[in-house]
Amino acid sequence: MALDAEDFTAFIDLCSTEFDYRITVYSPEIRKEMIWLDQDYEGMRALLEMVPQHLKRLGTLKRHVSVYIIDHDATAAIATVTSSFIVTHTDPDGVSQLFVAGTYYDEVDCRGDRYLLKRRRAHLETRDLGIGSHIPI
Amino acid sequence: MSARRYQDRARPPNLRSEDYVSGQVYRDDGVFRDELDTVLGKVWHFACHVSEVPEPGDYRTFLHALQPLFVIRGEDEKLRCFFNTCPQCGARLLGDGAGTAARLRCVRHPGQFDWSGRVVASAQSEDNAESDVLSAAPRLREIHAETKNGLVFVNLDDAAQPLDAFLGQGLEIFDGVFGDDGVEYEVFHFHRATVKANWKAWQETIVDLYHEFMHVVLRTTQMTAAPMSARDMRVYPNGHLAIGGLKADYDNYKGYSARDGSAAFPGLTVDDARFTPLFPDTTIITRGTVMRIDTVTPLDPHRTIVESRGLGIKGEPEADRLMRMRHHNDYWGPFGRNVPEDAFAAEACEKSFGKGAGRYQIIARDEGGRGQDDLMLRAYYKAWSEMTGRLAHSPGNT
Ligand code: FES
Ligand SMILES: [Fe+2]
Repeated sequence: MALDAEDFTAFIDLCSTEFDYRITVYSPEIRKEMIWLDQDYEGMRALLEMVPQHLKRLGTLKRHVSVYIIDHDATAAIATVTSSFIVTHTDPDGVSQLFVAGTYYDEVDCRGDRYLLKRRRAHLETRDLGIGSHIPI
Repeated sequence: MSARRYQDRARPPNLRSEDYVSGQVYRDDGVFRDELDTVLGKVWHFACHVSEVPEPGDYRTFLHALQPLFVIRGEDEKLRCFFNTCPQCGARLLGDGAGTAARLRCVRHPGQFDWSGRVVASAQSEDNAESDVLSAAPRLREIHAETKNGLVFVNLDDAAQPLDAFLGQGLEIFDGVFGDDGVEYEVFHFHRATVKANWKAWQETIVDLYHEFMHVVLRTTQMTAAPMSARDMRVYPNGHLAIGGLKADYDNYKGYSARDGSAAFPGLTVDDARFTPLFPDTTIITRGTVMRIDTVTPLDPHRTIVESRGLGIKGEPEADRLMRMRHHNDYWGPFGRNVPEDAFAAEACEKSFGKGAGRYQIIARDEGGRGQDDLMLRAYYKAWSEMTGRLAHSPGNT
């Protein structure tokens, strides 16, 4: 929701300082698992901070997430969460189209009084991303 | 606005003819058909990297000049290129982008072919290599394929000149990089994207140096790192271009780390940047630690497939590979800082040129062959004019 609203401070605030983020995709063309983005907490923060300076795709992105599995390890106070997502893009004329579909593999740190996102693997099904995006998925 | 003013806008600018390109070049169906025959149908086109087809039987399919093609490695290790079409009744052979095939099977009939395109079973006679029907059956339709520095090029023209003659010195700024000191490259990144733009508009995102103002990253890391006078633009026969003398200060962009100690490719320092736009549809770019190869494949005058590859060194330690992936993704890839901007700009030009609102593009910048001179754009369209037989500033007139 914070990413949809491009409220990057709010998003970073939900991440642990150990945050480890990757976008991965399998390419059948080169028959390899690829990494399309790989950032830690500081890297992600800087990247999001710079977004407003870039010439970016007009319109908005909207993430639709369905949580499939939650595995809570009470001793480690870590929850692993697997969710399916689709992201739609709505252009300035109000036309929406599917931008990308994929799966989140998340680790949530449940030690403190707030749950924090510690690790996210966004694995994409969609490989043709058109002009791409300055904002992570 | 009066009708008169509207007419004025249609008039060509008061410039030398080589200093502007007509908008028709980006939208006209007749121009596009000619490009397929006289440009794309004649040039050597980058198809894939050898690392994508390492073993006999490995293949890679792609589209070029609207034709479905594939490259396959034979028993004899030779790379051949064929139409991805059964010669008997025209059905497609290979359905996916890459793979390994024991035999090439027709989807429609029992037709089968070996890796050198020979028919080994036909629709008329299943698996009977001795039969007369088979010896009379057509082979797969083959086109030229040649490899240079691990780059596989193909040519649809039966009468094509050899690849070396076509490239000439066009790859010279990569001499030390590709070198022959045993370094083997391999592809680790592949992104195939459909962009709503004319194919040349994508090529211009490389050839047009003046557009670097559009990129925050280039304003902060590149334009400040080396003097404009150090830029070394080169124009070769057949429309190939090169630019060297670029440098980058990566730590000037927030979030990029300094690259001291990173493993640059042979012949390069981490802060070097060199580009070679090969006419008409391929570009090789290095930035010290990373190398990107782009190909543009038009679908029609208004839509283009852009294929981008990222290369690393075969067998390098995992840490180096991760470093290259990160450096690649800093600029490039669908979540990079630069490539979405280039794609945005190409689509923005389509919105203007695609339906005729944009009348022409001015390419008159003259900075004595340095800085952001438009000389590479002029050279690109000069080669384009020579091949199409149409004038880029007035393509209706030949
Ligand atoms: S179309 Fe291939 S064998 Fe008939
Ligand atoms: Fe660019």
